[in-house]
Amino acid sequence: MQHQPVRRLLLNMQRAVAAPTRNPRLAVVLGRLLATAFLLCFATGLYSHFLQQPLPWMRFPTQPTNLYQLTQGIHITAGIACFPLIFGKLYTVFPNLFQTPPVSGLKGLLERASIALFVGASLVEIVIGLLNTYQFYLWPFGFRETHFALSFVIIGSLAIHIGVKLPIIARYWRKGDGYGPELAQTADERELVDAPLIDAVPTPLQGAPGVRQAAGLTGRLFRWIDSTPSLDEPRVAVAPITSVRAENELDEPRIAAASIVSAPVAAEPIDPDMAAAPRTRVRSSLSRRGFLATIAAGVGAVVLLTAGQSFAFLAPLNVFAPREKGIGPQAVPVNRTAMAAQVTDTAIDPNWALSVTHGTFSQRFSRADLLALPQTTVDLPISCVEGWSQMATWSGVRLTSLMALVGAGSTAALTLTSLEKEGGYRVTQMGPEYVGDPNTLVALMLNGETLDIDHGYPARMIAPGRPGVLQTKWLSSLEVV
Amino acid sequence: MTETTEPVSPGMARVRAALIGVGVLGLLLGAYVLVTLQSPIAIVGVATWLLGAIILHDAVLSPIVLGVSVLVRRTGRRVSRVVLVIVQGAVVVGAIMTLLVVPEIYAKTKGPNTTVLPFDYALRLGLLWASLAVLTAVVCLLYTRRARRRG
Repeated sequence: MQHQPVRRLLLNMQRAVAAPTRNPRLAVVLGRLLATAFLLCFATGLYSHFLQQPLPWMRFPTQPTNLYQLTQGIHITAGIACFPLIFGKLYTVFPNLFQTPPVSGLKGLLERASIALFVGASLVEIVIGLLNTYQFYLWPFGFRETHFALSFVIIGSLAIHIGVKLPIIARYWRKGDGYGPELAQTADERELVDAPLIDAVPTPLQGAPGVRQAAGLTGRLFRWIDSTPSLDEPRVAVAPITSVRAENELDEPRIAAASIVSAPVAAEPIDPDMAAAPRTRVRSSLSRRGFLATIAAGVGAVVLLTAGQSFAFLAPLNVFAPREKGIGPQAVPVNRTAMAAQVTDTAIDPNWALSVTHGTFSQRFSRADLLALPQTTVDLPISCVEGWSQMATWSGVRLTSLMALVGAGSTAALTLTSLEKEGGYRVTQMGPEYVGDPNTLVALMLNGETLDIDHGYPARMIAPGRPGVLQTKWLSSLEVV
Repeated sequence: MTETTEPVSPGMARVRAALIGVGVLGLLLGAYVLVTLQSPIAIVGVATWLLGAIILHDAVLSPIVLGVSVLVRRTGRRVSRVVLVIVQGAVVVGAIMTLLVVPEIYAKTKGPNTTVLPFDYALRLGLLWASLAVLTAVVCLLYTRRARRRG
């Protein structure tokens, strides 16, 4: 039995990390929350993706005008909330990391591999998503493409994970079903864990109370730990064998004999030391409540202290978000500056004119020409894919008016081209639902002032319900397709 | 570990098969999207990051948590359980915020766009920890007093 060092080490690790907060019920509770956050991110992410790369038949709502502000705000906020949730979830299943044998058969291999992929993809997805909102790119791959591809990997892995764990999820779905065993080791496994590391103790003595435990490495370690007099229970000092472990920990191993023998069915392990049982239960309950309160506080902190970048009512609490409402030229944040887009010369060229083309007919409008046309003022948010958004007042020419001037109907779709030298959004498409919307403007003024060059001077597009990257700045041409 | 030995009814087995089937399709779609949109070198980069994340979790973060757990287990016997839970909670919340904010502190030194990362994040993080410390101390003090009064 002593000749299984790896197995023994893993079993010891399992025992070392078993805790009242690490049980199937809490894994289910956190799993549900995390799965909800993942699904919210997936749905809002797909919406954002198809807004930017629509399939030919796709049309999108332009009302409410702040729809994208809402969906993308949810995407980023739910993504941030995933951090405490995923750490909490991983914490509840920590002992599984040391499962032994590490891999059993093909099925076991696939199961572990799928979990590894799930965890790895989830961590990478939320980390690159977060860093993207900081405009901090330190990876050797495309953000958008990878973030998109990994979302399918995550949702696929989630479905597999739910499928594999379905019996446990069903078993512990309701609180009334109990919490399940913290540690479900078989009698054989327990024997191995407790066996002495070296056969220094003569065999006849090994059966005496306390001897075996103190002889093993883990036994010694835990004896050292547990020999500290406990503040909460001065009566118990060094009790031998299982009861010591069953009683004396916060958040730490509680190996009750009953949980080993009857693990699969016992909702709550019954402590053999009946006197200690209620006390243990109170403690487990305290640990669980403390753990859940910590996760709640973590989610509360990361959401409340950052979501003000997306949601105006939380703006006063915005302490750590990468964006702050109202900061920037004309009180509107900037995603891509004129400098970054290399338009600092072309945008202030006095010969600039917006070319509007419909088939063979083309007309050019200088800024003065555009200002001479009837002006409309609308309140529309700039809503960035990075989650921040800003309500602003825009003035300019209705796009429908310009379309009428070149003889295009309200069902026209447009190709928009920017002055910017390069970039994925230099040339973009605009569907007829936006072209025909009375709120869509070729904007010339922002919050009562001439459009700042960082906001797209001499003219930019502003339409309801679209991502900021599609609100083309430094317009060069509009072409009916 | 015996946790996977829960009973499986025929209905559950069907749902399970459907979920796993959908999941495998999801994985294939993800792989297809990645392969069509990214160069082989970039895909190696993605794979490296995935592997890195797993290693970071399994080989760095987990042993640290394990070590801290063992130490806290001993320390935990010298202070009240409730106080320990409160302190642990505060440390975890602070650690998660730190994890989110430290990249901001670094990223702020890189970008020229002043509307991105407009705050002094290092100062704010310091203030967060100070507030957490004060809040934790007050809550623990209140609890200890109440516990003592109750005898």
